[in-house]
Amino acid sequence: MPIPASTPAATGSGDLGAPLYIAWQVTNECNLACLHCIEESGPGKAFPDELDDEQTFAVLEQAMDLEVPYLSFSGGEPMVHRRFFDMAQYVCGRNGQLKVETNGHYLGPENCARLKEIGVKAVQVSLDGATRDTFNRMRVRGNFDTAVQGVKNLHAAGVPIEINYSPTSFNAHEIGTAVDLAFELGAYSFYTGRTMYTGNAVKTWHRMAPSEEQYGAYFETLHRKSEEYRGRMRVHFHEMGLLEELRYRLHHPAALLIVLPNGLVKLINALPFVCGDLRRQTLAEIWGRFQSAWQDPRVARFVDDLATDPRKTATLHQWIYL
Amino acid sequence: MKLARYVKFREEKFGGVLFETRSEKVFTLNPTATAVVREIQAGSEARDIPARLKARYKDEGDAIEREAQAFIAELRQKGLVED
Repeated sequence: MPIPASTPAATGSGDLGAPLYIAWQVTNECNLACLHCIEESGPGKAFPDELDDEQTFAVLEQAMDLEVPYLSFSGGEPMVHRRFFDMAQYVCGRNGQLKVETNGHYLGPENCARLKEIGVKAVQVSLDGATRDTFNRMRVRGNFDTAVQGVKNLHAAGVPIEINYSPTSFNAHEIGTAVDLAFELGAYSFYTGRTMYTGNAVKTWHRMAPSEEQYGAYFETLHRKSEEYRGRMRVHFHEMGLLEELRYRLHHPAALLIVLPNGLVKLINALPFVCGDLRRQTLAEIWGRFQSAWQDPRVARFVDDLATDPRKTATLHQWIYL
Repeated sequence: MKLARYVKFREEKFGGVLFETRSEKVFTLNPTATAVVREIQAGSEARDIPARLKARYKDEGDAIEREAQAFIAELRQKGLVED
């Protein structure tokens, strides 16, 4: 009996009793101000209405009660959230699997030991550059050596490591070296794709966006590296353009909810549509209307408009309530 | 035998899902496969599961038994279970 396999993103949400994956941006505050940040995070950029402790833990409790098997905490920088470790402890303590997506600047030996003890599934570190020059240019206020040392500390503590890489005009050529570096640092997975025109990238696009020629060479290298590291490290990349993916999603919504720092729930990160508010509705209620929200004609219209105006993604933060 | 460390299981109306969170692969399960995973979680020995399901579902042929055996073999082959 062959078992049908897919990914959470490819698994249709229609028949499921709850999401398979919750991607939670726990705060918009960040210690860095990266050129490409899709969330426009940075120092002092926490939303004024982010969930308080009671609301935060109520949402976590609901997710665990619904047996959501997999959560990720991102931001902003999730590790600056004042209750970050308590939240991680709660999820893992209730047998949930948790991935932490971080810029790697809070990964001292003590924090890495705590992450190991808590039992997170993985820590994903953004290393957008294989050299100090490109990384520091991209990650304003960031420090390549600090991030690399953070990854080394994770490895020493025995925490599973994933590396994420966002391409730009000035770091795309380093992708091969970056994959090699990820492997040397002990990563088991490497993720990348196309950098999105939204958030901070709208302001920096003219000096940051890779050309199609650069993307061609970029993905060619990734195909090669994927083969080279087969069986040793998973090199995972999304070559598909945003429009193709959204057209697919219109008919196959992923079993994934995107939770913003203030409890609003988005259909998908690359669309401005909000389908619920965890301050006013339960997770189960929001999941119950997730499918129909995708069928709202405004969603299809937005995707159609993207075909003629790809820069419409600049408006992703002007939320539209369904 | 037990589910591998990074494998999560959840029952659904149609059966169940297994989610391997390292590779981020999701496996949808029919009711027989779901019953097998329930047995694994309850601590049953792999070799006993097909016969137990045959008895439970009062299957006079051997369809459920064969299906369960094949499913257990596939769980092993995909690394979704460990001893």
